[in-house]
Amino acid sequence: MTGADGFSREAQRYLDGEPAGELEPGERAVAERLVAEARAYGVRLRPMPAALDDAVMEAVRRRAPAGARGPVPWLLAPRTVRVRPIWFPVLAAAAALVLWLAPRRPAPVPSVAVAAAGVPDTVFVHFELAAPRARSVSVAGSFNGWRTDALAMTRGPGGVWSVTAPLAVGEHHYDFVVDGTHWVPDPTAHRQVDDGFGGRNSVIVVGPKGLVRS
Amino acid sequence: MLSGDVEAYRLLVERYRSEFARYAQAAVGDADAAQDAMQEAFIRAFDALETCREPDRFGAWFFRILTNQCRNVVARRRARVPLDDVDVAGADRADASLERGELAEALDAALARLTPEQREAFVMKHVEGRSYEEMASLLGVGVDALKMRVHRARDAMRAMMGAMR
Repeated sequence: MTGADGFSREAQRYLDGEPAGELEPGERAVAERLVAEARAYGVRLRPMPAALDDAVMEAVRRRAPAGARGPVPWLLAPRTVRVRPIWFPVLAAAAALVLWLAPRRPAPVPSVAVAAAGVPDTVFVHFELAAPRARSVSVAGSFNGWRTDALAMTRGPGGVWSVTAPLAVGEHHYDFVVDGTHWVPDPTAHRQVDDGFGGRNSVIVVGPKGLVRS
Repeated sequence: MLSGDVEAYRLLVERYRSEFARYAQAAVGDADAAQDAMQEAFIRAFDALETCREPDRFGAWFFRILTNQCRNVVARRRARVPLDDVDVAGADRADASLERGELAEALDAALARLTPEQREAFVMKHVEGRSYEEMASLLGVGVDALKMRVHRARDAMRAMMGAMR
């Protein structure tokens, strides 16, 4: 479709950000305007409301099999590098973060393009807190708006609570919330920071290759 | 709640709803329809989680489901509204006369006339500002093929949007 209505090869290279020869001024103006208007169009698009998340979660909860821990098999049978929990003297609680990246089944051979650019976008982090006396435990953090009820942990044998969270690559802050009121930083975290309210937040760093410092 | 693991899905929903919202709206051309496509894509993804063979690349896997949902929505809209009835900014309209809202409508109308592949590629490249490498990772299509789609989309957009000349 190049020709009278299309861009020259040089213009296409220019628009792709590649080295290009001199463009005829009129064509350059048309090219730049098309890109500018497309960008402006994007800026004007509105964010989608968070209510959509509630609607999705309501639907998927109905789909969760009764009695099952969850419908996400690769979350439930991880090949983990498990860190022994550290026990708290007061709360009788302990925490550990476990990371895994290996898929449950062998991954298909990706295409060349995917392999070249196929960096992980999601890292699954398994949170554990040994708190036998707790009635509920959750994880609140920068990745879930610090909502205390957004990521509830499940009680397992020995009073070890756990949950797996799919996190984006980057740095996240979090704490455990015991019985809805007690905010407990992770003692295994490599770093803790002031939360601005007199407490401490734990820090986890998720790297593009799945490296986690916690 | 049976398990926090189910609730963990919300993290993915929050994250990718935000990340792909603009794409969905530009790909579909209607905010409400884009929300429907997004919601349906998340539910379908949940139902198909067992088939996600690279969990650490959930985003790319989900994006392909979203892309299909958006295509379905566009196809239904095309069936309802003949393209000849879509008002592309005509050559008789001077550049300066196009207000911002009109430009958005003109772009929507022009995008609607692209093939689904061209529209996706143009939106990702120029509306979202993604690199070809990012696009390749998300779509599972080679960079050269994506460049071809974008080039053809630009040519078509230029031809359709006489107001931009």
